[in-house]
Amino acid sequence: MRDDRPPPHQIDDEIAFHIEMQTRRYVAAGLDPHAARERALRRMGDIDRARNACTLISLAKETDMERTAWSQGLRQDAVYAWRVLRKTPAFTATVLLTIAMGIGATTAIFSVVNTVLLRGAPYPNADRVAVVWNSYAATGLSEAAVAAAEFADIRDTSKAFDAVAALRPQTTSLSGACGSGPGCEPERVTSYVVSPNLFDLLGVTPSHGRPFAAADGVTGAPQVVLLSDALWQRRFGADPSIVGQTITVGAVSRTVVGVMPAGARFPDAPVGFLRTPADLWIPYGWEQSRKDSRGNQMLGMLARRRAGVSIEQASADLDAIAAGFRQQYANRYARPDVQWRLKAVPINDQIVGDVRTSLIVLLGAVGVVLLITCANVANLMLARGTARRRELAVRSALGAGRGRLVRQLLIEAAMLVTAGGVLGIGLALAGVRGLIALDAGNIPLLDHAGIDVTVLGFAIAVTVLTGLLVGLAPALRQSTADPQIALGGAERTAGDGSIRHRLRRVLVVGEVTMAVVVLVAAGLLVRSFARMAATPIGFDPDGTVVAQIALPRAQYNDGGKILAFQRELLDRFRALPGTAGASAVFPLPMSGDGWGGTVIVENQPAGLPEPHAEYAVAMPGYFSTLRIPVVDGREFADSDVTGTMLVAVVDEEFARQYWPGESAVGKRISPFGPLPANDPRWTTVVGVVGHVRNGGPRKAGEGQLYLPALQKPELTLYFVVRATGSDQPLPAAIRQTVRSLDSQLPIGRLSATRALVGRLLARERFNMLLLSIFGGVALTIAAVGLYGLLAFLVTQRTREIGIRLALGGRPGRILRTVIGEGLALSSLGLVLGCASALLAAPALRGLLFGIEPTDPLTYAGIAGVLLVVAAAASYLPARRATRIDPVSVLRN
Amino acid sequence: MTTPGPGALPQGTLDLLILKTLARGPRHGYGVARWIEDTTDDALSIEEGSLYPALYRMERRGWISATWKRSDIGKAIKVYELTDSGRAELRSRTAEWGSLITAVGKVLRAR
Repeated sequence: MRDDRPPPHQIDDEIAFHIEMQTRRYVAAGLDPHAARERALRRMGDIDRARNACTLISLAKETDMERTAWSQGLRQDAVYAWRVLRKTPAFTATVLLTIAMGIGATTAIFSVVNTVLLRGAPYPNADRVAVVWNSYAATGLSEAAVAAAEFADIRDTSKAFDAVAALRPQTTSLSGACGSGPGCEPERVTSYVVSPNLFDLLGVTPSHGRPFAAADGVTGAPQVVLLSDALWQRRFGADPSIVGQTITVGAVSRTVVGVMPAGARFPDAPVGFLRTPADLWIPYGWEQSRKDSRGNQMLGMLARRRAGVSIEQASADLDAIAAGFRQQYANRYARPDVQWRLKAVPINDQIVGDVRTSLIVLLGAVGVVLLITCANVANLMLARGTARRRELAVRSALGAGRGRLVRQLLIEAAMLVTAGGVLGIGLALAGVRGLIALDAGNIPLLDHAGIDVTVLGFAIAVTVLTGLLVGLAPALRQSTADPQIALGGAERTAGDGSIRHRLRRVLVVGEVTMAVVVLVAAGLLVRSFARMAATPIGFDPDGTVVAQIALPRAQYNDGGKILAFQRELLDRFRALPGTAGASAVFPLPMSGDGWGGTVIVENQPAGLPEPHAEYAVAMPGYFSTLRIPVVDGREFADSDVTGTMLVAVVDEEFARQYWPGESAVGKRISPFGPLPANDPRWTTVVGVVGHVRNGGPRKAGEGQLYLPALQKPELTLYFVVRATGSDQPLPAAIRQTVRSLDSQLPIGRLSATRALVGRLLARERFNMLLLSIFGGVALTIAAVGLYGLLAFLVTQRTREIGIRLALGGRPGRILRTVIGEGLALSSLGLVLGCASALLAAPALRGLLFGIEPTDPLTYAGIAGVLLVVAAAASYLPARRATRIDPVSVLRN
Repeated sequence: MTTPGPGALPQGTLDLLILKTLARGPRHGYGVARWIEDTTDDALSIEEGSLYPALYRMERRGWISATWKRSDIGKAIKVYELTDSGRAELRSRTAEWGSLITAVGKVLRAR
């Protein structure tokens, strides 16, 4: 038996007992009661003094005990809290789930978003590095490549930059230094020919070996190469001794001087037309190829601002250089109608692109989900506090002090939120890993994502604070409440009860409101994505399989050999069972490989910008195989070979741009420089085909120009095979066919064409997925909140419902009442949520494609989903209400 | 926070008496008073109220421990019990008391 009463009471009891016993003794000895008591008191002496002394000692002792036994008390409280929490598994699980989901989802998603969108490029000097482009504002071509001569001039005359570098991608074959295992076949890799100072400019150094030196870029210097970490891992088994060995890149033997670390694979992510991540880098001093011709614009250019020079000052510097160009080469740069200038884009903006909208929307969702989480935690804790009033009142009446109760509740709340927080961290870790697995490789920088400690801390702090504050509320209220009232069944009489119920209803309505906002945003993105995925892309990838086959230059050293092999291969593909057609192209549409350039169009006015187009080389039958419509003229034929008239096919966009209002067929162009009018090397347009959206559904893209592979042989082609039925058996058949012709030949990117194409939608799909996850989390938490509230109300009204049932109330009616309450609260939340969403939706506009932010179908759909979930969440407590046993309720 | 002992007894004597009393078994405050009264034939005329501060003080020092029990007549009573450290204290105090008596006796017997 313990006694938690304050010390004075204990002492009084002891003394009273003493006096009573003594008195009885004297009475037994024959004294009359009055005299006996007098004598007993006399023997006690100064009772007040004794009493005070005892009180003082007790208090001192309590302080001692508090000091020494604090930890022991904590353990006791924790054990008690554990027991209490275990006794209410539903409540405990609900709070844990809410906290874990809130913390986990927000942290995981924000961490990923932060990596992808906020942190920017993983190079130490990234905030000083800009990409320099030729920009023609009037033509919409705002990020065009730079010519070697332009690069060299900027390098020599710029005052704002302390380093500039140029680079150009090329696909090359790679062999050597890797033994003869299956992973060591010759393969096609993406190499970049770069200024030797590229990595010095970015601020990264090799993890093995040495960086490039300026001398490496000089013509005639020993041939060297730097490897990317990815290539080093994949092909060379991460063997450090590769440094110093010789590999064959293209047809050139090069010594490996170093390996770049994993985080420095410039370009990691598309930078304008530099789309494919690098496998290896080859040094070259691009300024050496300064020529008079400034038309051969093919370089990407980076420039690092001097310390203290702002991006505005750098732009001004470029403007001054551009003014010099205009003066010196008036006919090239000074045409007023194209508004040419040199443009510098900070590399972070370039890589991350226009993501501000995504960022704001996702951050908003993070905030809203956190708010819902907090509201729900508060709600659950409030409900629990009310349910425990009796217990607390009893303990208070038994003498437990306010401090004691506060500590007890604090420990309970702390245990809950700590456990929830730990679960949340686990969920966040798993979530980040899951999100990376979802789309690594398609989303720039995604594989660099890790848990963002700041956000995790913030989410935990907010949730934990809410949990603790609200968890404490009952104890604070208890100290002011009269135990008599609470013990005497205060649930129906206490005035503040209804205020609390109202607060809880407000919280639930708020949760639903916020959940609706997130759901509407998610719904809009889902619909938008569906629209985007359904947008005609200009060709039909479904049912086709693609394989990239690159012939080694050493073996296939003239056009005849190349074409002989490729035609033989095509013949065999077409002969495969179940094929409806086969052809080949380079580059494959929407594959990420891009090939653009200038072209001379006969009878076009001279000056900038020169006519510019996406180039592709195609085999006969290409357009029919990919079902690209031929709208005028014809497609390439087997007869379009070397020695016959040079031909080309253009797309509608190109035709419209350069021959508006007339047929393009029969017009002449020159892809390879200016020609005299009677030169036989003019290329004649023989057909016009539909436009293909190479940059994805959002980007219309520029005009396209196709040359026949039979007239312009290419070592690397994407072979496209269309199946009559299922395309499942095709990859194996393709592999076998290639092997039967040349067992040494590497096959790249063998897959359904749809898969390669899908990468372009990756970012959009990613945004949609993130918001959908948020929507799901928000809906779940809100449903849990609604369920919790109704279950609580049913418990509170057990008596009333019991009486109603006893008086003949039908269960169906009670079921309807409870569900009705749930639906009423949800509907209010739904209306408020839709209104808020309508107000907030314009922020989404930038992310949407083909639908309005007010899309009624989305709102209706969300309303339907929400009401169904709300009805389900209300049904369980409602059913419990109908099962209340009137007899046992009334007996109690 | 300390309480003056009863005038009639030398400092610390009451503590010694209580310790000795409790060494014979757990007792409540009244029981302690009765035992002292009975064994001394009420010769010490202790102010019984002063027992309690002494009990509380010794409880705080850890010499005795207290538990609440229900008495035969249904009242809650606080029962004190000697702890191990209380037993040790009793041994050393008894020894001290013995040497004190011997020393004082020597002085008084001196001529």
